[in-house]
Amino acid sequence: MIDFIDYLLGGVSSGAIIALMALALVLVWRSTRVVNFAQIGQAMFTTYVALTIRELTGSWFLALIVAMAAGLVLGVLVHFLVIRPVKRLDTSGAIIATFGVLIALEALAAMVWGGDPEAFPPPIENAGYELFGRIWPFSPYDLLVLVSVVILVLALSVVFTRTNVGLAMRASAFNPEVARLSGVRVNRMLVLGWAIAGLVGAVAGVLVAPLSTLSPTSFDIFLVFAFTAAVIGGLDSLVGAVAFGIGTGLVIALVSGYSDSSNAPLVALALLILNLLFKPEGVFSHHKARAV
Amino acid sequence: MLRIEGLSVSYGAVEALKDVSLEVPPGRVTAVIGANGAGKSTLMRTLAGLEKPKSGRVLFNEEDITGGKPEDIVRKGIALVPEGRSTIPDLTVEENLKLGGMWRTHAQRGTSLTRVYSLFPVLGERRHLGADTLSGGERQQLAIGRALMTGPQALLLDEPSLGLAPLIVTQILELVSQMAKDSGLAVLLVEQNAATALRVAKTGIVLNLGQIVKSGPAHDIAQDEELRHAYLGY
Repeated sequence: MIDFIDYLLGGVSSGAIIALMALALVLVWRSTRVVNFAQIGQAMFTTYVALTIRELTGSWFLALIVAMAAGLVLGVLVHFLVIRPVKRLDTSGAIIATFGVLIALEALAAMVWGGDPEAFPPPIENAGYELFGRIWPFSPYDLLVLVSVVILVLALSVVFTRTNVGLAMRASAFNPEVARLSGVRVNRMLVLGWAIAGLVGAVAGVLVAPLSTLSPTSFDIFLVFAFTAAVIGGLDSLVGAVAFGIGTGLVIALVSGYSDSSNAPLVALALLILNLLFKPEGVFSHHKARAV
Repeated sequence: MLRIEGLSVSYGAVEALKDVSLEVPPGRVTAVIGANGAGKSTLMRTLAGLEKPKSGRVLFNEEDITGGKPEDIVRKGIALVPEGRSTIPDLTVEENLKLGGMWRTHAQRGTSLTRVYSLFPVLGERRHLGADTLSGGERQQLAIGRALMTGPQALLLDEPSLGLAPLIVTQILELVSQMAKDSGLAVLLVEQNAATALRVAKTGIVLNLGQIVKSGPAHDIAQDEELRHAYLGY
């Protein structure tokens, strides 16, 4: 029983980070109906930017802010330079193109920073809290991750539900034609979706780096988990992405704890298949059914 | 106010509109009637900027707006209520309304919102509920309300009677024609349901296979037996 609690506690922060990555995937899907497999590459790239800033200034917080700005810019660039031109020709082509962007970003990162894993130490203590005479697998850094994710998700939900621009973004996702007829500049909302997704992904990258190492491909596995969470959540549901992101993190922690962490991707894949078999439209989806 | 000169629109090889010219004056309802496939919706969608014309011009307050984008045309003062009660079910009633006219000032939008709620009290009562909880007639009111939120000088109504009970259709159309009279709104109404449309309209225009076959006072068109049999099918 105590093992079970330990494993769950250990999965909280990675679950929160998976939730952020899933959120980024959903933001892009809602705005352009493209699954952006490059999202994890963008996050990796901006984390390298954060690493450089941190080495230059010594400030983790400044590195995070610069990474967020870089993520925003990178999201907009990927949209304008790759997705928009390709999508004009073919929608499924745009999805394939995001794989191309992922590989290009990984190659570029290897050229600039080298392919060897770099350490990205946590800014605060990462040893578990000691309470009731034992050490729990939940550290001050895990708490920082959790608080950061909660703040970001709350801020996004305020933007989406309480502001004009959030309303315009949601309307553009649900019904672009009605949004345009109401005077919303839908194309700008799409760009904004990519920008916010880039920013959210960048935060996820900086937060996850201390939990693994940083190399051009070390984050790839998180894409598998985030994609699973986003699809199960319904791909167009922000709430679904967050809920199933955390859920996926906990399931992975349990699987890794009771068996071996190398089984985690298999379990994620199994969850994905079960979801597509029994509830292909996703749990939180707005739409009745999705063709598989 | 709104003038259309020699408008032609094609979908590939199919000509949906051929050389259509008409005028929509302020303060009254102008009705375009015709059977399914006559080109009514194409006309409305082209005016709103959703389709690009092959030739011809659209003039609004003497300004050439031909081929403009929908989001620019609505800002100039032409609001389309598209066919099929175009509300967004995932949003609340008030969010659907607030979507209209975001570029306007806070004060202007507040005034419009108050006006929409006084025109359609049921929307005010259900402002915080999801739009998917509304009945068909209420959703049509919501769609018109959203168009009014953009502060239009011209209102384009595409087939508002579709799927609604006759009594509700009459109520909505009479409200619209009263609004036109009171506030000088130019209303272009497109309808398959010719009898109802001609009752509230001042001018009637009969469209058949993309061409205008007859236009004149709504009363005369409604009385024209031959026209009715030939083009309107009743």
